[in-house]
Amino acid sequence: MEGVEYVPLWVKSHYSFLEGASSPGELVEEARRLGLTSMALTDRDGVYGVVRAHVAAREAGIHLLVGAQVSVGEAPPSQIVLLAMNREGYGNLCGLLTLGRLRSPKGRSSVSWEEVCSHSQGLIALLGGDEGPLASKAEPAPLLNTLKDVFGDRLYALVARHRRAEEREQERRVLDRAGRYGIPLVAASEVLYHTPSRRPLQDVLTCIRNGVSLAEAGRLTRPNSEYALVSPFSFQTLYQDLPGAVERTLEVAERCKFSLAELRYRYPSERLPQGFSSHQWLRELTFRGAMERYGRGSIPPEVKAQLERELALIEELDYSGYFLTMWEIVKFCREHSILCQGRGSAANSSVCYCLGITAIDPVRMGLLFERFISRERAEPPDIDLDIMHQRREEVIQHVYERYGRSHAAMVANFIRYRPRMAVRDVGKVLGFTRTSLDRLAKLLPHHGEIAPEHLRMAGMDPDMPISQHLIRLSCELLDVPRHLSIHPGGFLLGHEPVHTLVPIERGSMEGRTVIQWDKEDIEDLGLFKVDLLGLGALSHLDICLRLLEKHHGLRLSMATIPAEDPATYEMISRGDTVGVFQLESRAQMSMLPRLRPRCFYDLVIEISIIRPGPITGGMVHPYLRRRNGQEPVEYPHESLRPVLEKTLGVPIFQEQVMRLAMVAADYSPGEADQLRRDMAAWRRGGRIGRHRERLISRMLAKGIAREFAERVFQQIQGFGEYGFPESHAASFALISYASAWLKRHWPAEFTCALLNAQPMGFYSPATIIEDAKRHNIEIRPVSVTQSFWDCTLEPLDEVECSGEQESEGAKPLFAVRMGLRFVKGLGRGHWERILEARSKAPFSSLEDFVQRCGLDREAPSSLAQAGALGALRQGRRDAIWGVLGALRKPKGPLPTRERETQPSFVPLTAWETVIWDYRTQEHSPLAHPLAMVREGLRKMGFPTAREISGMGQGSKVRYAGLVICRQRPATARGVTFLTLEDETGFVNVVVWPSLYVKHMPLVKTAPFLGVSGTLQVQGEVVNLVARSLWTPNVCLQKAHAPSRDFQ
Amino acid sequence: MDRLACVDLPELPLQILLDRHPEWKGLPSAVVAQDRPQAKILWVSPEARSAGISVGMRYAQGLSLEPKLQAAQVTPRELKQELNRLTELLRSFSPEVEVAKEPGVFWLGASGLGSLFLSASAWARQIHGALGAMGRRGSVVVGFSRFRTYGIARHTNGIRVLRTPQEEDVLFKAVPLEKLSLEPELRDTLERLGILTVGDFLKLPAHGVRRRFGQEAADLYESASGTRHEPLVPSPHEEPVGCVVFLEEPLSDTVPLLFLVRRHLHPLLRGLASRGEALRELEIRWFMGRDGERTDLIRPARPNLQESLILDLVRIKLEAFPLPSSVEEMHLRVHGSSVDPEQLRLFWETSGRDLSAGERALARLRTELGEESVVRPRLMEGHLPEACFAWEPLEHLRPPKPRPKAGHWNMIRRVYSRPLCLGMRPRHEPDGWLVKDLRSGPVTRICGPYVISGGWWRKEVHRSYYFLETLRGDIFWVYYDASRKRWFLQGRVE
Repeated sequence: MEGVEYVPLWVKSHYSFLEGASSPGELVEEARRLGLTSMALTDRDGVYGVVRAHVAAREAGIHLLVGAQVSVGEAPPSQIVLLAMNREGYGNLCGLLTLGRLRSPKGRSSVSWEEVCSHSQGLIALLGGDEGPLASKAEPAPLLNTLKDVFGDRLYALVARHRRAEEREQERRVLDRAGRYGIPLVAASEVLYHTPSRRPLQDVLTCIRNGVSLAEAGRLTRPNSEYALVSPFSFQTLYQDLPGAVERTLEVAERCKFSLAELRYRYPSERLPQGFSSHQWLRELTFRGAMERYGRGSIPPEVKAQLERELALIEELDYSGYFLTMWEIVKFCREHSILCQGRGSAANSSVCYCLGITAIDPVRMGLLFERFISRERAEPPDIDLDIMHQRREEVIQHVYERYGRSHAAMVANFIRYRPRMAVRDVGKVLGFTRTSLDRLAKLLPHHGEIAPEHLRMAGMDPDMPISQHLIRLSCELLDVPRHLSIHPGGFLLGHEPVHTLVPIERGSMEGRTVIQWDKEDIEDLGLFKVDLLGLGALSHLDICLRLLEKHHGLRLSMATIPAEDPATYEMISRGDTVGVFQLESRAQMSMLPRLRPRCFYDLVIEISIIRPGPITGGMVHPYLRRRNGQEPVEYPHESLRPVLEKTLGVPIFQEQVMRLAMVAADYSPGEADQLRRDMAAWRRGGRIGRHRERLISRMLAKGIAREFAERVFQQIQGFGEYGFPESHAASFALISYASAWLKRHWPAEFTCALLNAQPMGFYSPATIIEDAKRHNIEIRPVSVTQSFWDCTLEPLDEVECSGEQESEGAKPLFAVRMGLRFVKGLGRGHWERILEARSKAPFSSLEDFVQRCGLDREAPSSLAQAGALGALRQGRRDAIWGVLGALRKPKGPLPTRERETQPSFVPLTAWETVIWDYRTQEHSPLAHPLAMVREGLRKMGFPTAREISGMGQGSKVRYAGLVICRQRPATARGVTFLTLEDETGFVNVVVWPSLYVKHMPLVKTAPFLGVSGTLQVQGEVVNLVARSLWTPNVCLQKAHAPSRDFQ
Repeated sequence: MDRLACVDLPELPLQILLDRHPEWKGLPSAVVAQDRPQAKILWVSPEARSAGISVGMRYAQGLSLEPKLQAAQVTPRELKQELNRLTELLRSFSPEVEVAKEPGVFWLGASGLGSLFLSASAWARQIHGALGAMGRRGSVVVGFSRFRTYGIARHTNGIRVLRTPQEEDVLFKAVPLEKLSLEPELRDTLERLGILTVGDFLKLPAHGVRRRFGQEAADLYESASGTRHEPLVPSPHEEPVGCVVFLEEPLSDTVPLLFLVRRHLHPLLRGLASRGEALRELEIRWFMGRDGERTDLIRPARPNLQESLILDLVRIKLEAFPLPSSVEEMHLRVHGSSVDPEQLRLFWETSGRDLSAGERALARLRTELGEESVVRPRLMEGHLPEACFAWEPLEHLRPPKPRPKAGHWNMIRRVYSRPLCLGMRPRHEPDGWLVKDLRSGPVTRICGPYVISGGWWRKEVHRSYYFLETLRGDIFWVYYDASRKRWFLQGRVE
């Protein structure tokens, strides 16, 4: 028997955080499978999931009703389900939710019945549920009358059935009151998951939300599994005594015509000068900028043509306001000396280049504008602006100020369950002890599924039923959103108040407001987003350039740093790139000596080639062989030569893949961009497959051999989502080159700035300092009489402070004095008190320091242990004793002169000093820890990193070093790469998967590791392929810094 | 010079923990204050210590140093029980036993025991052996001062008998400070100063220590330097009051036995009263020759000294559980609790609603039917009917709190203690559905189903509940158990 059609009107997805147990996509897909044509999504106090549901519903051909379950009143809150009939209703719903969210603590919302009434236009109200006024024991006469007056025929009495015994009594009241007040009945069971098999997960989520275990949950969990989407037949059976209420679901759906596709978004218009439209003003600014970039009257014709083409498209698509906003933000940064630079596909645009948003000339680089904007795509362009991370907040507050909080809000970022958080939360609910869960969580990877093997490693029995529940439910919980957070820099700006588009709520950070949609939602709806991202490298450059100006009177900017400097490329080619933006990773360092960059474009390639896309696509080795002349440069077809020529016939950039399709298979620019997007999604949905036939047949038609066509397709497929656009790589390469040039010519300034820009980059301060020492930079220890909060430069006594050091090996002019920011336990507030006291008068003694600074007990003790009081009291132990005494000195109007015998303490040995340095600052200016135990290591037969670099292919080596980096890239098929360090340099260690499994705890946790293995030497690249791993029999007493580990 | 001994059972809570988890022996393990990652580590095993884990760290911190670290809590109750057990044991070696605040440390008076145990060494060996037999590892140091023997014991493995105070002094000064249970902050600061042994510590100026580290450190200094007078403070020990009665002729009748009990009970109660206590429990051990023995515990509703009441309870017990054969020997032991005299007086007062009389009645019921016979229901939050309440022992009666009168009579749902299985419902029911018996008649009205399902994490349950009204007007509350494919009668509505 076929069931009568119905529409589920009260459906909550997992965006009703810790309540719903299915994603919007799963709900829509299940609705389609059950033969439903419409479905509502009514998450609790939000529309977080409506975009995902909208996209899924569009694909499934289902009519989506947009709404929310709104909490009304306080303790206990009542509830009402509101559904948007039209755009006005949707705006009202967003406004109502914004009101409730902004006034409530994070994660909660509450509105009043008056507010519901004042936002009623365009909304259908379903009144009911356990906490609704219709079902309550108390008589809600005045409220029902008001709601009836306000909503009129848009008010329905909701009859919810879940086969609970208590419902009968509640339903009796609902039917009675609905009859008395003339409110039509509508059938709507609360849906919390798409299928009953999700019920255990829903129970677990309920327990997590209430902070109880399943054994303690009692009636907090639902009594049965009747909260799933059901077939029309089952629904009709459930409500067989109320057929009218079932039919009314269709009536409600019929009345709700609103779709998210209706959202018409207008970008906020800039304040324009008299007589200019926004497009005219953009044109004016663009050509003014072009004249600055190329010189007055000398704009190259091809640039002019490109600008005209871009401006025409921008005008046609009405994007001018967006460009003007970005220009305004960049202008603000310039005026306030905040270093910024556009990245991503924006660098494909000449307009962006001329407006100063990006620093790459796309015409000169031959970049593809369609990668940025295309008519076919009809999606707003995405301009990401990198801003020096230390001053990004200033720019964010400027945007709030300029557009107002009603027109600007930050984009959300959903914090989703990852394996560690999942096992902790599920385990607690299942009653596992917290300590065993903690042990298990620490053994889990940051991504991927939880396997029985993980439990076994944590000493748990994975075969026990409760352990199997833990594994299954934790895996089900993966990717489920837990709560809302803020995207690092994404802003939504609107001409109309943003809260008519999407609800706004408070961010956890003071002064931030956040919308209920994330970046993907914004993209899916085609809204404009302004991305203000923090980039540590820009802070590093900014600090370094300021140091050059301060200490050398040298005024440089990124644009005026000498280009194409051979000495810089020579240094890069050696892989001597600790601290150099994008070139400092272990993988880059081992690639650099093989690629040997000689010009800027080589850097662009270098940055792009060490990416998962080119690596898995098998582009790296062909490119290297061709570059080294070991194989001929070939093209699948002569027509592809212009596309692939600059990368020797191997596609490396996203644009090249797009162009391949355009040239070889006659794709339009828009089709090519779709190809790029499908490439990004091919792992998930196999969408790339639909291009296969089209690409190959068109290439065959063009006379390209099938073999080559297949190869081109394989390259496209292998490229996947993990490739850089050329423009993006070029933008990054600019920063890379600038930082490399500074490292090569001003190493002390470079190091000082890098330390001050921390935290950033790939390496810990200890590694940066050791690298600096190997480059003959003197690192001076912290001192309360000399140091500032940040690291500073101090002139070396024997060198004149002028000019640039020309050749490598020449003594630098300055030493780096470590800043007090590196002393653990010392805060900025402490430093400000020290500075205030020191600026009044130099400290005369340790007691004087303690008394005048007025610090609490911890800070002076930390300083004494770090050796920062050395200028006031010799010997760190004496300083500790002195500080403790001074801190407890009796306070009174008159100085007391207490006689106290000074005990004699055993002075620290050099080794102990290093250990103390690491304990207090995680680095030591004095020496590398392994230098201190080198004699012992030599006796054990362990060579240094420098000695290893001079050994030949196949040498058998036993080596011991500090682990500074662990990586297990997805592209390496389970191979783990470790970087070990000693006082002479680095050793790259390759650990095969079988060895990794055998020694996993050691590989993942040991800070000091012994490796036996065989050397693999390729030119200047030396890898130690591990045969066995062990713990060296040398006690370092925690003298090591934290490593950078794989996720 | 008086001699004493220090018994040190290092990391006693950890030893208790390892009794519970023998599989953790040899692994890095720790006792934590609570079961959560941020809980403080209170005790660590040597394996954990060698991995760099120390007392005072958070468990998560310890785990980052040693991923194999196992940890659990030891409750104060567990610890107290163990300390009581150990104290009892040590009392068999010395009448003077002092239990230190630090768990696992005891001091024993050793003066004059040499003649009993041949020598101090033999005495210490026996103590050590007895502890070992209990599964406890530790050290025994016989010396001259409390703190010094303690320090040496912490640094000693096994037995040490010190001959002179000078020997004690030398050994004590070599004790590493980390062996003493110092506050972690003081311990770490001293370590930073390079002060590693007691001898180093004593080289610091006394007033300098006080000024920098406070009174507690100054006290420690004084104790270590021997300038502080610290006599042994033995824990008080009170023997339970009791007596042994040998019967001239074996008796099996209740009445003469009761008279016998009464005769001996009277002085025992007087003994309790002289300690300001009332009888909490009377323990009677009946020895019946070849038929073995039996122990009866008589507990009045409240501690009291009323002889007739207690004898009445003994009588009930003997009548309810007659002795299987004649009694040859009887041991009586009374356990008391401190009682306020005024409170005792209240036992005799009566009121209109005499709660104490009710309690006495319940005590009789308990005596006759067993401890679990007097219970009351407690409402619980659960979905299944049987999970909505639990029976708990009723310790004391409370005055009734009548509810305000309801506006209408509610129906009463009776829940069977165990649902009755109705079997499978026949496919053909010519007379209609006969749920229970013919007298009720067939079912005329069905209300339901109301579904309760869950318990997936231990035992899956899926029940569909119905209310069935029969022709006679009976209302049955039944359910169909989907997993057992059977109908059950959960109760009825009246």
